[in-house]
This record gives sequence, structure tokens and C-alpha cells, in this order.
Amino acid sequence: MLVAIFLPGFSPQLMSTSKIEVRNVSKQFDQAGSPVEALADLNLTVNEGEFVSIVGPSGCGKSTLLYMLAGFIPATAGRMLVDGRPVTGPGVDRGIVFQEYALFPWLTVYDNIAFGLREARLPQREVRATAERYIRLIGLTGFESRFPRELSGGMKQRVALARTFAYEPGILLLDEPFGALDAQTREIMQDELLRLWRSTHRTVIMVTHDVSEAVYLSNRVCVMSQRPGRIVQEFMIELDHGLNREEMVLSQAYTAIRNAVWLALRRQVTLASPRAQ
Amino acid sequence: MNVIGAILDHGSRLLPFALLLAAWQGVAGSGLADPAFLPSVGAIGHALIDLGATQSFYADLAVTFGRSLGGLALGAVIGIPIGTVMAVSRQAEGFFGPLVKATYSLPKTALVPLLILWLGIGTATNVVAVMLATLLPFVVYTYHGIQGVPRILVWSARAMGVAEHRMLWKVLLPGAQHAMLTGLRIALGFSFVIAIAAEMIAAQTGVGKLMFIYGESGSYNYMFAAVAAIMLLAYVADRITVAVSNRLLRWDDIENRLG
Repeated sequence: MLVAIFLPGFSPQLMSTSKIEVRNVSKQFDQAGSPVEALADLNLTVNEGEFVSIVGPSGCGKSTLLYMLAGFIPATAGRMLVDGRPVTGPGVDRGIVFQEYALFPWLTVYDNIAFGLREARLPQREVRATAERYIRLIGLTGFESRFPRELSGGMKQRVALARTFAYEPGILLLDEPFGALDAQTREIMQDELLRLWRSTHRTVIMVTHDVSEAVYLSNRVCVMSQRPGRIVQEFMIELDHGLNREEMVLSQAYTAIRNAVWLALRRQVTLASPRAQ
Repeated sequence: MNVIGAILDHGSRLLPFALLLAAWQGVAGSGLADPAFLPSVGAIGHALIDLGATQSFYADLAVTFGRSLGGLALGAVIGIPIGTVMAVSRQAEGFFGPLVKATYSLPKTALVPLLILWLGIGTATNVVAVMLATLLPFVVYTYHGIQGVPRILVWSARAMGVAEHRMLWKVLLPGAQHAMLTGLRIALGFSFVIAIAAEMIAAQTGVGKLMFIYGESGSYNYMFAAVAAIMLLAYVADRITVAVSNRLLRWDDIENRLG
């Protein structure tokens, strides 16, 4: 520790073991000339390999938090550390998946998945092998040369997940990834995400407004307050993830924690809008 | 069924032209208009066949076509970069924006007399006139095309490691393809209009000059025949542009295809 302090540019944060640290982060937007406080004094720590979900009332700034972690927009105050280093912009150590898929419409399924691999300047053979492996993994063999417009919503989201998993960022930031899908496709995709996550063991932060989804997928669920958003409650999810979906969803342990998170979120939703009570 | 359907489809597309020709012939044949000023469809057809048999007519067509495409190419080479820097740089937008707005509604043919003073009568004046007229569609459509690329695509690319200086090639220009090809199609239409108009006053050759001479000498059947020939040429050029564009835009939604 002493050595660290005397080395220039070598800060004690490097000693921290957490993958992501958000310390007293605030964010103000300028909306039509008047400042809007999106996040206030938010704290969050995520460990390596953890799957953390963030739920909160609409407009609480949960997506903003994700975009700040991704490096798309800067924080107004506070510190965000990834692997002990402050976030200064986007980086390939953090992959993001959007609700709207954000596939490049002019590229085929194959080229979309290979995009990040090519940007990483991997040898052609490796690009091909990895892209083909992920196409197989998401069950889209035979669809390699289709364009996104020719795919269903579920297929597009599979491609978006595969595109981000393929170049192996250590952290995955998921912004309501299944929000645009119908209920059945959602469940399939959730299990697919679990499978991908377990086989790669990345650190995941997922923003969602679906409590069941958060509880089913995560190790930990954080509940955010109304705007200005901060994390008001955390739930450790200690469920037997060896169970299949039916056993899990019908278990008492799952129901109990799901209800607890639902109630916590509902408290936050109804706090500021009494009519919803 | 498909063959009949295709024939009917083509037939229905040709119907408006047939009606136009019939109406023309009706008016010309009715004696309402002096046949010297409104030649019959048959007379124009004969004149067209006549023109088709002369070598010099093809030379004139080639000259006009060359001036159109030359000016169009120059307009693209200058207009696309201007539209691009306007879309990516606020300073460039502040600089070029007012110029674009101020010159947008200016009829570019009005500049031809001035161009004659600077460049003389001939190809240079014609090509520059076409360039000036096609410049703005390229500028405006490139600008709007790039501006319309969803921010989320740029973010995605950034997250996947695309550096800012490569964003143009990887995301912005591919995303602006549709708008830029629409701009090309509009510019192509302009290019023929301006080439013909400029030739009428600032050239010794070309179909525009030919129309002017026939008009002056009262050979209206030949004038209309020349108009018909250039119409056909412009139509073919437009269809080729649309076919190539739709091939390039095969990733895009069907309803966004050029018609």
C-alpha cells in the first residue's frame, strides 16, 4: 500500500477487488434551459462475475446510469471505476445491448456478429470461427446472410446478444434487453442469456422494469428511487439456479423474494404519484 | 397467371402515356391548334425516325449526356464532402448552413449569363452550371442522411471499439446511403434540365442547342422529337439509377425503396 501511494498515477483504488464501483455519482441534464437531476449520490458496487439487475420506476435514471458506465455520457459528479480505473469513455471492456437491438441494418447477421471481432483486428480465421460459433449458439445457422429487417424481434435480440458476447467484453451492460419482446419469446431469451452468461462468466448489469425477470436471472437486485434516482434497497437472490424454470418459478423461495422486490419497487413507484395507490 | 399479371401491370403503366398521346393527337387533329405549332404525333414520330438516321444527332445526344454526367459527378465530388462536414462539425454547419439556405431557392440557370462571361460559350459553362445545380441536393441529402443515423448505432460502434475518425466509414456513411441515393436521383433529374437549358444559350452543340435551332426555325416537329429523345434518355438513366440504388439498399425496408 505504501509503495502504491508514492507511485505517480498509481492510486489506492487499484487495490479494490470489485469489478465496478460507482461512488456518489450524480447526473444533471439540461432540459429546455432548466436543470433536471437524473441521479443523485448513487452508490453501487458489483463484483467480478456477478449478475446484478436494477429495477426502478420509469424515468428514474436507470438507463442513464448504464450509459454513464458505458462511457457514452459523463457524470456530473462522483466517481465511476471499472477494474479500478476511472471511466473516461466507451471501451471494449464494456459491451452494451439495447432494447432496440441497435443492429447495423446494412450488415448481415454474420457481419453484425463479426463487427466487434474485426474491430479488434483479430485474424480472419478467428473472426470466422468465433462468429460461426455464436451463430450456432443462438440457433441462427442458415440465417447468416439475412439482413436485420428480415428477422423477428427475438432473432434480432439474439443477434444483438451474440454480437456483444462475441468480442468478449468482461462487463455486459444490458438496457432492458427483452423489453420489446412478447412474453413467450422473452422467457426463451432469458434462458438463452443465462446459458450464455454461465458459459462465459462475465459481469452483468441489467436494467429492467420486469421484477420476475430480474429475480429469475440475477444474483442481486437493486431497487432505485424516483428521480433523482439512487439505489434504495438491495436484495441478494439466493436461489438454487440448478433448477429449471418451472421448478424455480413455482418454488416458494422464488415467490417470496419476487414479492419482496415487487413490493419494494411498488413503494418507490407510489411514493411520488399518490394516484397509483 | 403471372405472365398475364405482368402484362396487365406493364399495360397499366403505359396507359397514362397512351392517353397523353391520344389527347395530343386529338387536339392536333381537331384543328383547334395550328398544326405548325402543334405537330401531330405522327409528324413527331417521323421527325424522330429522321433524327435517328443522322449521325450528328447521336453526337449531340452524347455531348448533352456527357455534360449532364460530368456536372453531376463534379456536384457529387464537391457536395458530398460539404454535406458530410456540415453533419459532423458544428463550425462547418455554421459556415455552410447559411450559404445553403440562401442559395437553395436560387434558380441556377440564372447564373448561366454570368458563367458565359467567365467561362465562355461551350462545355465548361454547361458543366459548371450542372455542377452548381446538383451541388445542393448532394449537400442537403448527405447532411440529413448523416444527421438521421440513430445515435444508438454510433454508441454501439463506439462500444465495439470504433475510433471517432473511422465512424464516418463504419457507420455514418453506410447509414446515410438511402438519403444520399435519393439525393443522387434528384440531382440526376436536375442535371438534364440544366444541361439542356444551358445549352440553349451557352453552347454550339448538344440537344439543347438543337432544340433551340429547331424552335427558332419553326421546325416544331423536330423540336418535339428532340424533346422526346432526351426524355427517353433521362428516363433510362433514372431507371438505371433506381435499379442500382435498390440493389445497394436491399438491406433496407421494402417501403423505403426508391420507386
